[in-house]
Amino acid sequence: MYNIIRFIIRYHLLLLFIILESVSFYLIGQNSRFHRAAYLNTANAINGNVFKVYNDATGYLFLGKVNDSLANENAKLRAMLMQSKFDGRLDTLVDTDTLGGKLMQRFTYIPSKVIRNSIDNANNIIYINRGSNQGISNQMGVINMNGIVGQVVDVTENYAAVMSVLNKDFKVSAKLKKNNYFGNLRWDGNNASNATMDEMPKHVPVKKGDTLVTSGFSTLFPEGIIVGYVKEVKSEVDKPFLVVRITLSTNFRNLNYVYVVNNLQRKEILTLDSTTTKATK
Amino acid sequence: MFDIIRQNLVRFILLLLLQVLLVSNLNLSPYISPNIFPLFILLLPFATPRWLLMLIGFFAGLLLDIFLGTTGMNAAATLLVAYLRPFLINLITPRGNEFDQSPNIFSQGLTWFLIYVSITVFVHHSFYLLVESGTFYNLLQLLIRVVFSTAMSMIFMFIGLYLFSVRKKRKA
Repeated sequence: MYNIIRFIIRYHLLLLFIILESVSFYLIGQNSRFHRAAYLNTANAINGNVFKVYNDATGYLFLGKVNDSLANENAKLRAMLMQSKFDGRLDTLVDTDTLGGKLMQRFTYIPSKVIRNSIDNANNIIYINRGSNQGISNQMGVINMNGIVGQVVDVTENYAAVMSVLNKDFKVSAKLKKNNYFGNLRWDGNNASNATMDEMPKHVPVKKGDTLVTSGFSTLFPEGIIVGYVKEVKSEVDKPFLVVRITLSTNFRNLNYVYVVNNLQRKEILTLDSTTTKATK
Repeated sequence: MFDIIRQNLVRFILLLLLQVLLVSNLNLSPYISPNIFPLFILLLPFATPRWLLMLIGFFAGLLLDIFLGTTGMNAAATLLVAYLRPFLINLITPRGNEFDQSPNIFSQGLTWFLIYVSITVFVHHSFYLLVESGTFYNLLQLLIRVVFSTAMSMIFMFIGLYLFSVRKKRKA
């Protein structure tokens, strides 16, 4: 016993260091889910106010820009209205479904504002000021006027955490607009405006400048939302697939307003998915 | 005594706000993520007991974590700096030179201070960025990030140090 006490006294600094360092790593190891939730819940009282004041102040500085972007957005929406289409039913409406000759609403959009954003980390998370009270739930897609932004990963009452496209864990199914060949898009971790496309077979004709859109295979995004443009295509002898580098269409450096995509048929698709998996087993 | 506590508390709040509201929001490039917060630990008085230094380092880092939403990562890195600080001071201070106050560019000299800050910031950034990336996979990229971030952090730190030191002199 005496020896133990002597040991503790002798090495108390090192022990304290090890204990505190373990606590830190325990916190880090509590997985991102925990710290996002903790951040959103407990820190919001102090921290939400600080950021709110900060955002209110800086918001004024960008009013001009925001107005411009809202005007653009409005123009786009107006173009989507049925009255501005010649024959909307056949080819143009991507976010509605025809069923029995009647148009059904498939996606609704919840506008929200980014309250915190980062692009410099290896795993970037965006926080937005809408939560479960406003109808947001986990696994919803997030877009803005230029393209896709990410996917909701955590929700509290009035805030939500969005896994940005600039995140090592983010993957989205995308296809070439001109010929519908699809593959997986992921961030390569280097640059806030570039990503890489996997699983594109070598025979697919891809050129620099081709447009990539969402495939609509996942329940996250409607089909046909612009993802980015092909920047560079490399064909390596020892690999079965092409290396396609992409310039993302969304500018993550000045995200301000985003839209959370609410897929009204998500549950239906997921149910179908699970029953099919069971049936084929 | 009270004066020293107050001075450090003000410095702490100032650095926290600067880091959270300004430096972390600069988004200069994915290779540059500066962090000026370790400066708070570096400028604590020499006579701070080592256990207190570590506790301060840990909880200060944790507070920064809460603001940045990175639970634990800053705490771990700041704690490491607080733990290593006394060893480093012993190592780079010539024997016989006893400092009796807080580290300061003017009393310890620019060379001493530059070595002191650069080593600590380099260690801090290496550790922090390694923990953040969570893998040894792309070491070259990591090293580039560390070097650029360290350089940028030090530029910010020295700008701040000179600004505030000048103001103190005028007051006296």
